[in-house]
Amino acid sequence: MSNRLRISFVTALALAAVLLQVAMYGQTPRPNPNIPRMKDGKPNLTGLWQSLGTAYWDIRDHSAQAGPFYQLGAIGATPAGTGIVEGGDIPYRPEAAAKQRENFKNRLTLDPEVKCFMPGVPRGAYMPYPFQIIQSQGDIAIAYEYATANRVINMGKPKEAAVDTWMGNSNGRWEGDTLVVTVNGLNGQSWFDRAGNFMSENVRIIERYTLTDADHINYEATVEDNTVFTRPWKLRLPLYRRKEANAQLLEFKCVEFAEELIYGHLRKK
Amino acid sequence: MRYLIVTFIVTVFLLTALPVFAQAPKPAPTAKPWVALKTPWGDPDLQGIWTSDDCIGTPMNRAAQFGDRLYYTEKELADRESAIARQSETDRQETVSEAARAGTGPPGHWAERARRPCRQTSLVIDPPNGRTPDILPEARLRPQGEGAGNNNPKADSPEDFSYYIRCITRGVAGSIFPVIYGNGQQIIQAPGYVTILQEMVHESRVIPLDGRPHANPNIRSYMGDARGRWEGNTLVVETTNFLHGKTGIGLNGGGVPTSDALKLTERFTRVGPNLVNYEVAIEDSKTYTAPFKVGFPLTQEPGYENFEYACHEGNNAMFNSLSGARAQEKAQQTK
Repeated sequence: MSNRLRISFVTALALAAVLLQVAMYGQTPRPNPNIPRMKDGKPNLTGLWQSLGTAYWDIRDHSAQAGPFYQLGAIGATPAGTGIVEGGDIPYRPEAAAKQRENFKNRLTLDPEVKCFMPGVPRGAYMPYPFQIIQSQGDIAIAYEYATANRVINMGKPKEAAVDTWMGNSNGRWEGDTLVVTVNGLNGQSWFDRAGNFMSENVRIIERYTLTDADHINYEATVEDNTVFTRPWKLRLPLYRRKEANAQLLEFKCVEFAEELIYGHLRKK
Repeated sequence: MRYLIVTFIVTVFLLTALPVFAQAPKPAPTAKPWVALKTPWGDPDLQGIWTSDDCIGTPMNRAAQFGDRLYYTEKELADRESAIARQSETDRQETVSEAARAGTGPPGHWAERARRPCRQTSLVIDPPNGRTPDILPEARLRPQGEGAGNNNPKADSPEDFSYYIRCITRGVAGSIFPVIYGNGQQIIQAPGYVTILQEMVHESRVIPLDGRPHANPNIRSYMGDARGRWEGNTLVVETTNFLHGKTGIGLNGGGVPTSDALKLTERFTRVGPNLVNYEVAIEDSKTYTAPFKVGFPLTQEPGYENFEYACHEGNNAMFNSLSGARAQEKAQQTK
């Protein structure tokens, strides 16, 4: 092959590749080349993920404060934290804002986490426990370490919620490289955090999972519930891949740690 | 320039034609033996919602009359088929007849039923007599919580009840053995993982396939530490690192609790679109005099799906049993 011919062949190949790229991706943003992908090109979210920060204490900006039990000293105190709520404030209706304050006051008996109840959505994503995403060619499972809670994101034809549940009814779809999950059928008994921030059974959560590189997911949840809030609002935080060579999902079956709290008064004296 | 245009056209043609050739039409399906499905990344595909319903009611240990015979005869199967038909007739009944004794239990249609008779005479498939090996004397001393069958349980404290009644767990074996309902097992796979989501007490078993060693023996749990591998089309899952003296190898995790030496080796083999052969080898030298195996089919049924089983969140049984017992004591004192 002459030199000129070789050059023209290479140029043609490059041009063809560019044309194919354009045909394949059309108007969608340029796909991130730095993330793991499935065989079909979809981002591969499989892995062990965990949040950092103190959103599990309070999703809003908060100062450090003493814990409810002086015996626990610094271990039981709440660290300060920057909030994960977009714009800073949760747009509560006035009566709902009062209920949140009441919840906080009575958190040791009312917080579902104290009782080892399932975390609901979005709380499971930023509790101080990892969770495992298992992504198949179709549906996607999420197994949370806390309370062995789990859910399946249906990626097929959207399904109606048969009944209201703690973990809700999840229908997912891909928007470019973002997994968008619409969660309805939630029973409204979950809280957002240990500060009494709450929702009702009319809530709808729209989650967005976007890999920003191999080891980080940008997680967003839009909260729609006009019985509690005056407008939809959004929380956002990064999720980090657990990188320890021996990291794995472990078991945190917390029921037995909550039994004395729940049934202790019924113990034979 | 002419060369350029020609080579460009040829290149584009080749690039676009390749996928077309790759997708050559498949021959029409004939009555061939079932070919194991594969995931896009090449693992055998076991995904779906499976249930052990078909062997509901099959005893763990084989009745002596069957000797070493694992399978029923065609005549015996026909009898069992008509029993299923009669049950299905009863389940359709919506109201209790006047003469019937009304209980406090749920109506019959709440329970899951076998759709076809289980061919096996026992769930234990090895040793050949279909009977669980003897239990060591020291293992018999391990305390067992009160199950659902006892209407007058010891109810001094929450710890008097079984881990199932407490909504903690039924253990690995107890979470797949066929019981009255909630036998759903949803398998979802990813490159490097198999996960099994079990409806009752919402267990999620995340099983790595990458050949990593078991977790350190200091990390122990009710559901153990599972590692999986493929042997041909069979998923083999080895589970160790169990807590000592919690659940047993029985329905709902009942029976003599196993020890921290327990090792389970499960084999899942998909042999048809809707059939997985399941077996589990049980080794526990601190509990049983010999290893043994339990096995049964898992099937996929139209319309069958898992629901959220918020067991602990709605555990009125614990509250009512404990408060009932305290009320009885109070009544005794005031007599």
